[in-house]
Amino acid sequence: MAFAPMGPEASFFKVLDQHRAFLLADLRRVGEETPRGGTRPASSTEVLAAIENIIQDIIASLARNEAPAFTIDNRSSWENIKFEDSVGLQMVSQCTTRKIKSDSPKSVQNFALILKILSMVYKLVQSNTYATKRDIYYTDIQLFGNQTVVDNIINDISCMLKVPRRSLHILSTSKGLIAGNLSYIEEDGTRVNCTGCSTAVAVPSNIQGLGNLITDAKFLLIVEKDATFQRLLDDNFCSKISPCIMVTGKGVPDLNTRLLVKKLWDLFHIPVFTLVDADPHGIEIMCIYKYGSLSMSFEAHNLTVPAIRWLGLLPSDIKRLNIPKNTLIPLTKRDQMKLDSILKRPYITCQPFWRKEMEVMADSKMKAEIQALTFISSDYLSKVYLPNKLKFGGWI
Amino acid sequence: MEGTALAVCEILRYLIIHWKCETAGLPKGALLEGELVISTEALNSEHQANALHCVTTIASAGSHCDGFVLKNFLKEIQSILPGLSAKLMWTLEETSSSPNTSGVSPFQMIFEVDEKPRTLMTDCLAIKNFLHKITMVHPKIRFHFSVKVNGTLSEEIFGAENEPILNQPNGIALVVNYQRYVSRPKFGVTELLCGRIHPVPGQPVTLSIPDDVAAVGLLGELILTPAAALCPCPKAFSNQMNRISSVSVFLYGPSGLPLILPSREQPTTVFADISCFIDWKKYHLCVVPNLDSNLDRDWVLPDVSYRVESCDGDQSQIIDPQGHTLLLFLFVDFHSGFPVQQMELWGVYALLTTHLNAILLESHRVVQDSVRIAVDQALEQHHQVAKAHQKLQASHAVAVNSIMSVVVGSTNSTFRKMCLQAFQAADTREFGTKLHKAFNEITQHRFLHCLGGVKQLPPEKHDVAQNTEDACESCSPEHLPGEVFALRVSPGLSWGGVQVKTVTSAFHCPTAFFHSSVPLGFSGFLVPLWAFWDSSRHPSQKLL
Repeated sequence: MAFAPMGPEASFFKVLDQHRAFLLADLRRVGEETPRGGTRPASSTEVLAAIENIIQDIIASLARNEAPAFTIDNRSSWENIKFEDSVGLQMVSQCTTRKIKSDSPKSVQNFALILKILSMVYKLVQSNTYATKRDIYYTDIQLFGNQTVVDNIINDISCMLKVPRRSLHILSTSKGLIAGNLSYIEEDGTRVNCTGCSTAVAVPSNIQGLGNLITDAKFLLIVEKDATFQRLLDDNFCSKISPCIMVTGKGVPDLNTRLLVKKLWDLFHIPVFTLVDADPHGIEIMCIYKYGSLSMSFEAHNLTVPAIRWLGLLPSDIKRLNIPKNTLIPLTKRDQMKLDSILKRPYITCQPFWRKEMEVMADSKMKAEIQALTFISSDYLSKVYLPNKLKFGGWI
Repeated sequence: MEGTALAVCEILRYLIIHWKCETAGLPKGALLEGELVISTEALNSEHQANALHCVTTIASAGSHCDGFVLKNFLKEIQSILPGLSAKLMWTLEETSSSPNTSGVSPFQMIFEVDEKPRTLMTDCLAIKNFLHKITMVHPKIRFHFSVKVNGTLSEEIFGAENEPILNQPNGIALVVNYQRYVSRPKFGVTELLCGRIHPVPGQPVTLSIPDDVAAVGLLGELILTPAAALCPCPKAFSNQMNRISSVSVFLYGPSGLPLILPSREQPTTVFADISCFIDWKKYHLCVVPNLDSNLDRDWVLPDVSYRVESCDGDQSQIIDPQGHTLLLFLFVDFHSGFPVQQMELWGVYALLTTHLNAILLESHRVVQDSVRIAVDQALEQHHQVAKAHQKLQASHAVAVNSIMSVVVGSTNSTFRKMCLQAFQAADTREFGTKLHKAFNEITQHRFLHCLGGVKQLPPEKHDVAQNTEDACESCSPEHLPGEVFALRVSPGLSWGGVQVKTVTSAFHCPTAFFHSSVPLGFSGFLVPLWAFWDSSRHPSQKLL
């Protein structure tokens, strides 16, 4: 982009460019072999027809004096998940299911709520309007009880109909932020330019509707925490290491943030790096971006970026950089359990360097936040740590 | 109660206590088995105007009557029947009993009394109810009860051999067939989905015997074991009935025999104020004594009965009579560490009945706690069932509205047409009504499938207490009453709805002794008296 601020000289990005070339080659090799699965965007007509088919089946059951039931894939069961290096975690084709019966006191409420939300989706699609999951919850909070119930049912419906949530005209509320070398036009025609060093732009709610995305970015940096993201903004990181893009999901990323990262990768194939705390929670967040989550595995193809690399903060950096011990935090029991859980996940087997880093953490029984680097110097992160990592290929 | 009924009931009590003592070596929970024939022949009295000379015979065959002390029994029985101008005869068929038969010998007892026709009728109904009550806890004792008035015969068989029973922790078996306790026509076949009650036992408690009661000879340690149940089973009742409309209390004494003999009077004043033992306000119930003492019923009558009224003070507004009945069983027995002699046991009944009021009040607190636990649990089941039912209803309403929203809002005429056609509805309004009904029916169907399914379960004769869900899941038609006898006598009879006409009544009294046309419940069936008798034997001998 001609208007991009000045950054380091071209040689700075040599390793990055090599890395990108490697990724592209890998992509060409894998791209033809991997069949697309999971959900696919559906037209309004298709969604309406799918819902009508469900209603018809229910009515037919009732007419036969049989209790209708929904058969739902067990989205959150590891036994229904397989791992593919090129995709991440995805649901197996013949997965176990559970029945949501209409004649059992235990499941009838769930049965009714699924129908309720289906009828609401029907109305949204018919009227070509959109609502967030929160909006749906607030239509009848007494009926739904809590937001989690609504979220789970929406995901179940998405999985059942094999259409992305967007096709159901249900939006997720975005909480992520973008900054850096990127511009696009939103669905309503608004042109957005994320290039502005001191401010960030909210991740749009309609990623699918984004058009005309333009970037010269050499890399995309995913930052775990908003605090770190803001610090980098304050330090003018995007212009110092321009051209680049920064994204944060403010912790566990929402669907739109993941969709945006996926879209940027699919369109531009620029290296994607994560900057997370050296703790199990940070590693898990990184795994969500890279390999996907258990609950959304049915949409893995639309959400995961297996090409993501772990830039920092690596547990081995702690010792290497002599980060003061008093800035470190002991791992809690919960941390230990999470770490053990991650180590057992199928994707770790093909990431020996990640495994090694996690073992370092497990052995030391200590964790560190990115903010620990400020004890070296206040701008160590943006001035030294990240530039060196990017220049010399310090990612795994 | 007048002479005939009182005599019959006391004699039966004595006999059963005797059997129980004779079979004391059997394991706890083993059921008494035996058959008794009670027959009354009444002819116009030659000595009294407008009276009947009644000859009642009580006979048994194959009973354990060894050690039966005639003199003691006669002495005792006459002591409690002072008002009975009866001629009591005893015949012990010594010649018919083989020395090698292990103490099994038939016996027969005959007594005569003159009674007014109406008195005889009342007595017969009282005997009938007494037999019902015995059968509830001694299902394998069969009674053949017949009344012949001036040549016109009516008879019934009482027994529950193949009905489902539940062994209580105190070792007493209780028949759990719901139709024993409530009127059958009250709950039609299509509405009722579980044929059992599910008694919840309370904690056995020791009763203190007041000093003045001990002074008159009631000694030992008494244990009270309550059990409570809702009838019919709340979980499987298909309609929206979830109210309790009546309370029935049954009192049983040692050996599992009815403590109270049927009469028009209230047996004990302690139950005039039932709140003494049960806090009805806790369950939002207003309970008043039910003074209807009509004995003429096809189901067992409780010793004490209450009806539930509206709690807002309007006593004219009675709670839906189709509601559940809370059954409360109180079993009083001696602690097993204090064995009581046979004769003493029989005598104890009179003392217990007379002083029950004082005994229960003496131990009021522990009785109250124990009863409360049982009632709480029984009503908790009811509450949970009501809650589950409400949940189903509320959710079905949401489901119906959601489906209606799609069907009504759809612009796909093919889809709309197919939906309406599925229910043969003329319009969406009718469709909605049928949709709602269809959801209600699938809930019923879930239980009906359990009742009339392919799986045929054997009678669960020695069940321990089990939870409602399991019990209801295993309901099957053959456990319902009447069918047992129907199958035995006439295999072609189908479950439920069979009507049997008894041989009349029409003897100078406009009211029949038994219903002229009753559902095949406990009323048995018509069998000529001669069928019970071996024609080669003397008519006074009874062979069964």
